[in-house]
Amino acid sequence: MMKKRRARTKLRRRLAGMLAIAVALVGVGTLYSVLVPEPQTAQAQDDPIMVRQGEQIYNTTCISCHGANLQGVEDRGPSLIGIGEAAVYFQTSTGRMPAVVQGAQAEEKPPVLTPEEIEQITAFIQANGGGVEMPEESGAELRGDDPARGGQLFRLNCASCHNFTGQGGALSSGKAAPPLEGVTEDQMYAAMLSGPQNMPRFSERQLSPEEKKDIIAYVKSVADGDNSPGGNPLGGLGPQSEGLISFIVGLAALLGITLWIGAKQ
Amino acid sequence: MSEDYPEHRPKVPSDEELAGMSRDELATLGMKLDGVEMVEYPDPWPVKGTRAEKRAERAVALWFGLSGLAGLAFVAAFIFWPAQYVAANEPGHFWYSLYTPVIGTTLGVAILAVGIGVLVYTRKFIPHEIAVQERHDGGSNALDKATINAQLADAGNRSTFARRPMIKRSLAFGGGVLGLALTVVPLGGLLRNPHAQSANEDGLLHTGWQHHGDEKVFLRRDTGYSGQVQLVRPGDLDAGAMETVFPFRESERDDHDALVHALKRADNPVMLIRLRPEDAAKVIKAEGQEDYNYGDYYAYTKICSHLGCPTSLYEQRTNRILCPCHQSQFDALQYAKPVFGPATRKLAQLPITVDPDTGYFISTGDFIEPIGPAYWERKS
Repeated sequence: MMKKRRARTKLRRRLAGMLAIAVALVGVGTLYSVLVPEPQTAQAQDDPIMVRQGEQIYNTTCISCHGANLQGVEDRGPSLIGIGEAAVYFQTSTGRMPAVVQGAQAEEKPPVLTPEEIEQITAFIQANGGGVEMPEESGAELRGDDPARGGQLFRLNCASCHNFTGQGGALSSGKAAPPLEGVTEDQMYAAMLSGPQNMPRFSERQLSPEEKKDIIAYVKSVADGDNSPGGNPLGGLGPQSEGLISFIVGLAALLGITLWIGAKQ
Repeated sequence: MSEDYPEHRPKVPSDEELAGMSRDELATLGMKLDGVEMVEYPDPWPVKGTRAEKRAERAVALWFGLSGLAGLAFVAAFIFWPAQYVAANEPGHFWYSLYTPVIGTTLGVAILAVGIGVLVYTRKFIPHEIAVQERHDGGSNALDKATINAQLADAGNRSTFARRPMIKRSLAFGGGVLGLALTVVPLGGLLRNPHAQSANEDGLLHTGWQHHGDEKVFLRRDTGYSGQVQLVRPGDLDAGAMETVFPFRESERDDHDALVHALKRADNPVMLIRLRPEDAAKVIKAEGQEDYNYGDYYAYTKICSHLGCPTSLYEQRTNRILCPCHQSQFDALQYAKPVFGPATRKLAQLPITVDPDTGYFISTGDFIEPIGPAYWERKS
């Protein structure tokens, strides 16, 4: 849904300019909110049916690594008590969990569980282990209105691992901070709240909800192809790739002009 | 004079002959006097008014015209194009994102088109002549050498410099001191003790965390608004969290410059880490730093002990602190000692506790060792 919406928005921007974009955003946003009236994460922790359905999924999908009582299994998976719905939502919606292989870190892959199953298992773990909950808002509501300040906070808190335009980077012993391209607002918020894998956690008292939303606004303003005024971001790595390209292209152009000036008629 | 020169040089015309010469004849004569002979001097457009000539003329005019138009477009874009930042997902971003390309392209085209116009004009309309210039063999002849030497000696003599000692001495003084002044730059560093100021407030041995008198130094977070003061409480961080904190003193609360400076000073950033309880149980503390932590909270400088990069890649599961520049790794559970990479010294630890009056974190002192890279006089 998110992907389709983004692609459509992009197409219209190219074709019809800014007016069309505003119309498209409003239209698609309305359609989206009509089709998905409630965020799939922040609801019904107390619904016993959902908790029971979540338990069944847990018993077939998660139990071998996380134990029968969410207590974790030595050398296989950590305890899930107290991780909260933010962690469950992030791990399952990005496909990191259920993991298929033990490794340096669980890799992102297409989600195995459907949104309904994610909702159910989130309810089960929240009901039994408790922990940080997702905010009321979701989607574009999680974008703050000060991306410049979000950029400041991003560079202070996030850029050391994720790169200053969210391209990701290496960590120790085969681990890596993932690029933030295509990550949804909800997933980013959930990641900041829950600190998946080796990412530190950022509580609401450390980074206020407004600060988190500004950070998301910043990431959304530079990720997903939004950061290439020259037509190609060149990896978003900064001066290395940009310098190399301008050196090669610029030098070739200068050489060409020099040859033309010196050429005989 | 003329007998020294090659015989085919033309005779110098008399005044009457000169007055009667046409422009072409004068130009040819001028070249011949310089020993230059035109072998080929073709008119690029021997038949006047051809279509090709008109086309070439239009091409030149087109480039100059294009330059003018691009220049006008540049001025207009510079004044009227929306230059205010608009984030990528907000309406108006498209036009804003074109601001830099537009002013760059228009000015670039304006400059380039003038250059191309001049070049095209040169290539199309300036005759491409082939000229031969006579050169004499060997050095100058004896007469030239003797006369030029006499002229130089005469000029020196007439300047009377040799018999004016006051000017000579003052020049020696001025020039000599200037030369000496240039050697001060490389030699000066050897004369002054570079560590004379090290123990001062801004010196190498201290950071912005240095205590002045009894004033408390609080841990302050950066909220993205440099004038805002937000202090850190023990409940603020979740287990497995890391936060960059900066020093704050109550006397700086209304001093905006000092508040900004505290965030910018290079040796100020400190990583405040809250370990997960099960990890905190495994901590090994450095000798003499047993009471530097507050519960699960540990504060280490963000400045790498290798070459001073911000070493802020904290892995909350492995409790490693990584430096992105040269891949040094420090173990947060063992007083941030280096466990991998080129760094050889631990990260300096900031002693922290909680202020009983306000409940906020304070530092109980400055770092006990210089932070950042090593230097010659450093003991450890």
